[in-house]
Amino acid sequence: MDKKTSNSKIISRFRGWIQGAATLLTNLHLPNFRTGRIYQGQGKIVCVPGLNCYSCPAASGACPIGAFQAVVGSSSFRFSYYITGFLILLGVLLGRFICGFLCPFGWFQELLHRLPGKKLSTKKLKPLTYLKYLVLLLMVVLLPAFAVDELGMGDPFFCKYLCPQGVLEGAIPLSLANAGIRSALGPLFRWKLLILVGIVVLSILIYRPFCKWICPLGAFYALMNRVSLLTIEANAETCISCGKCAKACGMNVDVLKSPNHAECIRCGKCISACPTDALHFRYGFGEKKQRRIHNDTNGSVSENQPKHQI
Amino acid sequence: MTKIETFALTFVLSLSLAACGGANTKSVATSAAAETTAAAGAESAGGSIGTGNAADLATLMAEEPADATAAAELYQALMTQENVILAEDSALWEKVFLSIDKDQQKFDEGADYGDYLLKAIDGAKEQFTADELARLNAAAEKIKKIEGKLSALEEKYPDCATQPDDSTSAGAAGDSVSAGSAGMTGGSANTAGDNAGTAGDSAEVFPSFEGQDLDGNPVDSATLFSNNAVTVVNFWFTTCKPCVGELPDLEALHQELAKKGGAVIGINAFTLDSNAKEIEDAKSILEQQGVTYPNIWFASNSDAGLFTAGLYAFPTTYVVDRNGRIVGDPIVGAISSDAQMKKLNALIDQALS
Repeated sequence: MDKKTSNSKIISRFRGWIQGAATLLTNLHLPNFRTGRIYQGQGKIVCVPGLNCYSCPAASGACPIGAFQAVVGSSSFRFSYYITGFLILLGVLLGRFICGFLCPFGWFQELLHRLPGKKLSTKKLKPLTYLKYLVLLLMVVLLPAFAVDELGMGDPFFCKYLCPQGVLEGAIPLSLANAGIRSALGPLFRWKLLILVGIVVLSILIYRPFCKWICPLGAFYALMNRVSLLTIEANAETCISCGKCAKACGMNVDVLKSPNHAECIRCGKCISACPTDALHFRYGFGEKKQRRIHNDTNGSVSENQPKHQI
Repeated sequence: MTKIETFALTFVLSLSLAACGGANTKSVATSAAAETTAAAGAESAGGSIGTGNAADLATLMAEEPADATAAAELYQALMTQENVILAEDSALWEKVFLSIDKDQQKFDEGADYGDYLLKAIDGAKEQFTADELARLNAAAEKIKKIEGKLSALEEKYPDCATQPDDSTSAGAAGDSVSAGSAGMTGGSANTAGDNAGTAGDSAEVFPSFEGQDLDGNPVDSATLFSNNAVTVVNFWFTTCKPCVGELPDLEALHQELAKKGGAVIGINAFTLDSNAKEIEDAKSILEQQGVTYPNIWFASNSDAGLFTAGLYAFPTTYVVDRNGRIVGDPIVGAISSDAQMKKLNALIDQALS
């Protein structure tokens, strides 16, 4: 096993710990859960990489999706260059690695998925993966900016009507600790609680349903995956085209066919699954040393005779 | 090859976008999710705080009051002087106050406020240039002298620290809000605890403030609350949609309360410390929403300013009785819905009874 591959395997093996640490760093102000207060210091000027509600009592920074909507929804701005630039930068540096390793809500869904029971495949539901781009375009960008009242103020549509992370991290802990908030809960809260319960149930049955179909932040990073510095590379010398990588993938990606697929969250399960250690993370830019492996013309993986095009 | 190009292009683009966003930063921070950064970085301009005249300090220090009324007046004038001194370098003081660790350096009621300031300056000295430090220390020394005079006055006329109040209702004068306020006089503000017994309950007192309405007229909490049978205090900020949405309802409530001798006042968290641009924005929205009731601001480092900074749900509406006490729990969220309005009316009735 070469060094690149062994490093990649180590990163993948400790992914759960990295996810836990990232969630903790994203929510440093833990004592606030008891007091029901929200941290309002300078840290909130910066966005965190993952989907993490600003109104979580412990949150260290601002949610990029929430902040974007707040800016475009205000009467003074139609677009947020600061947050868009920040997201492009993160997208280029890491792409959907953020989903796989750093996002607290991604981790939450994965922990739920570890509960025992019947697991369902989403292979046939591929069209639903395009829904998240619609959510990004409509609920995050267009509606908050253009569905405005006479004073030019819009609503943060995604946060207000859809985001289950806001209920999980914001509404629930705040209302538990604060009677005023508790008494203000209404139909909107019940609707979003229903969404959260739906996502929780689906997460037990399905791997990361919210990431696959709904998350607008994931959608943005998905678009950036193709130009990201972080990629997964296959070694054509050692690959035996056994197809174990595609089987191991929870996001229905065939890493050999499309290593920079929009759905790939860089979780590294394929790297761990590879029996010949042919897959590894690759960071940086420039031409690849090896060509990626091409499959048969009909797209199926041929079992016994791997074809190399060097 | 295309990948390098794409990357380079994206990188340049993202950097330029991030740079463009520099000016945007504040609005991100403030509007990101209904928070106020008033306490965080706004320039304080408390020069106009206080209702007293700007009499010469030296004359005031030399003055020996003949009776209790004169002593009370002198006390007020000296307090105003303290605030004027603090307002002269409000930006620097802001830094000093922000650096004070509330838990570590709690202001002791018995201690000298001047010493407290000197200690606070010392604790934050690495943030200032030598010249700024000299100015701060000189101001603190002046305040120390004034404090000396104030304690001498208090010793001779124990009641002089109590703000004169023309309200006839018993107990209204001293127990709700004491003189000084604006938080700058720290310990001497809010002597509520001492006389709380007079009202026969332990209701929380609304934090004291001295400030102005958005047209520049002076407002102080003691006079404001004692002049109204009930005061509905609405906290809002300019880019908060539900806050702006309920303004017409609050105006209707104000008209209704006026018949019962009550009033609504608004506190826009963005306008604290007399931020001129924010006041302009707030006034324009108030006008568009047809609001006629007063909106006020005060120093963000005053008791009420710190109270405002601690709020994280906007809008929040408090009901305050004539004695300056908060009635019941605040209404969190817009009052526009029937259920919220019912709760608010119940609190108002409670305050009036």
